Amino acid sequence: MNFLTLAAKNLLRRRGRTLLTVLGVAIAISVLFSLLALNSGYEKELNREVNSMGVHILAVPKGCPYEAASLIIHGGVIPKYLSASDLENVSIIPDVELATPMLMHQFLKKDEKTGKSTPHIIYGINIDEMRSLKPWWTVEGRFFRDGEEKVMLVGRDLADKENLSVGQVLPVGPKKESFTIVGILDRTGDQDDQFHFFSLKEAQRVFNKEGKITTIAVKVKDVSRISAVSEEMEKIPDIQVVTMTQIMGTIMNLAGSAKSLLLTVIVIALIISAFGIINTLLMSVNERTREFGMMKALGASGLDIGKMVLAETVFITISGGIIGTVAAIVGSSLIEGFVKDMLPYSPRGSLVFLSTELVAFSLLFSVGLGLICGIYPAFKSSRLTPMEAIRSGLE
Amino acid sequence: MSGIIEAKDLIKVYRRGREEIHALKDVDFSVSKGEFVSIIGPSGSGKTALLNVLGCLDTPTSGSLRLNGVETSGLKERDLVRLRRDNIGFVFQQFYLMPTLTARENIEMPLLFSKKSKNKSRIDDILEMVGLADRGDHLPGQLSGGEMQRVAIGRALINDPKIILADEPTGNLDSATSQMIFKLFQDLNRKGLTMVIVTHNQDLARQANKMYTLRDGQIVGCEEMMRV
Repeated sequence: MNFLTLAAKNLLRRRGRTLLTVLGVAIAISVLFSLLALNSGYEKELNREVNSMGVHILAVPKGCPYEAASLIIHGGVIPKYLSASDLENVSIIPDVELATPMLMHQFLKKDEKTGKSTPHIIYGINIDEMRSLKPWWTVEGRFFRDGEEKVMLVGRDLADKENLSVGQVLPVGPKKESFTIVGILDRTGDQDDQFHFFSLKEAQRVFNKEGKITTIAVKVKDVSRISAVSEEMEKIPDIQVVTMTQIMGTIMNLAGSAKSLLLTVIVIALIISAFGIINTLLMSVNERTREFGMMKALGASGLDIGKMVLAETVFITISGGIIGTVAAIVGSSLIEGFVKDMLPYSPRGSLVFLSTELVAFSLLFSVGLGLICGIYPAFKSSRLTPMEAIRSGLE
Repeated sequence: MSGIIEAKDLIKVYRRGREEIHALKDVDFSVSKGEFVSIIGPSGSGKTALLNVLGCLDTPTSGSLRLNGVETSGLKERDLVRLRRDNIGFVFQQFYLMPTLTARENIEMPLLFSKKSKNKSRIDDILEMVGLADRGDHLPGQLSGGEMQRVAIGRALINDPKIILADEPTGNLDSATSQMIFKLFQDLNRKGLTMVIVTHNQDLARQANKMYTLRDGQIVGCEEMMRV
């Protein structure tokens, strides 16, 4: 028997109360853990996603940059267009390695069984330029050639979802022209897995957008020149310039406000559970006044008693911490779904990033919580004079 | 005469709100080594107050107390803890056993505070001495009142005290059990322990060597018993 078993046995005397307190801590810790896991995962995924675009700067028609940022990454129709001359103007800027035009088109596809419409996105691209921007692209089947008619590539997720295979023919556009799938992109892990890709010219022709482009993706020769190039691009009328760092920043800002809301909730939850712990502890200290008096009479010092109470608190919080962390790990996918709905923009990959550091942190945090919550009850119990303690039992 | 307990001019005043309660008024009290002393008196006469001061659980408002030759007034809390731990074993009316610990663990508990290493055979000896050799692994809830008090006495003995202070040790027990507990005290006394027992029970009190009577915070009588 030592102090720890004594403390543990003390807690077992009020199982129900101890359990409830532990649960309170567990909930707070699990929410905290999830948020932190989510936070690090979010940044990581966002970074990866933005980098995987292979693009440094995007030129879009003038409009709201928030809208633009979200549209570009997730796909979507920007109801304004850039022209070939804009492309020309961008291409001649020194330090631009590559400026490739893209046309995005969105249409709704109705599922015959469920009757639900889901948005589909078609990208018109110059395949050679795109492949030099995204050298990691590989394909099942083959890539189409620039200008090749009535063929398309599809992303892997899209193909899986719609049961598409190479060689299949799909009706496209207002005239329901038959397009053949010549290749399925191997999984990239980013938004490209969701799209249809046409040759730019075909996309412009099918959707009656001849000569129109929605985005110019720019790769700069040297990353240090990004800001210089984007300044040059700003000078072209009609063009709104968005650098990847701006997109990141914008999204992080948006996400930041959602996160601070969540954080507030968590802080409140933690404060409530801290008071719960303190209350439980004070209650049990008060109940055991006589017992502490007895212990003092048997040779315990105030420090001994205080240590025991503190050990009890840390027991409560560390069990709560362990339960909460395990629950958060197990339930992370649930929480992820919930949080994804709350965030204005979320990357497609898993947002929850679990690391040993994080687990260590949340356990340490629960120990710290216990130490903080235990200070007052421990202090109070250690200050009891044995006489007061015992007398309270005789009256 | 140098006693193991020597109290002089003990005064203890409690405050309860504005009221002052004079629990002890100028008490002189001494016990020599190996004596068996009982203190009787009506409720509120200051018996418990005296016992608590003697056991260094409470400090007197004024007066001096020497325990085993050490002057206690002016000692720091830490030194009082040590003095108490090394010299005094307490037995209470309500036993105050830890309900989640077995008899053996309850007896062992003070070792936790005195940081002495536990010695299994020593605990066995004590269980034997208090007549609970076969009950060591029972929880207090599984023991009778008399057995619980025996555990409490065993617990008081584990740190090898020189003095046992017992506050109404038989207050919650029937007379037959009380008699058995008193007999245990007498056995311990024969082994050299100094006993100071506060009790209501005159019959039991008369089995001590000396019986003090306390009334209104003062010692009003002292009878020396003749051993039969």
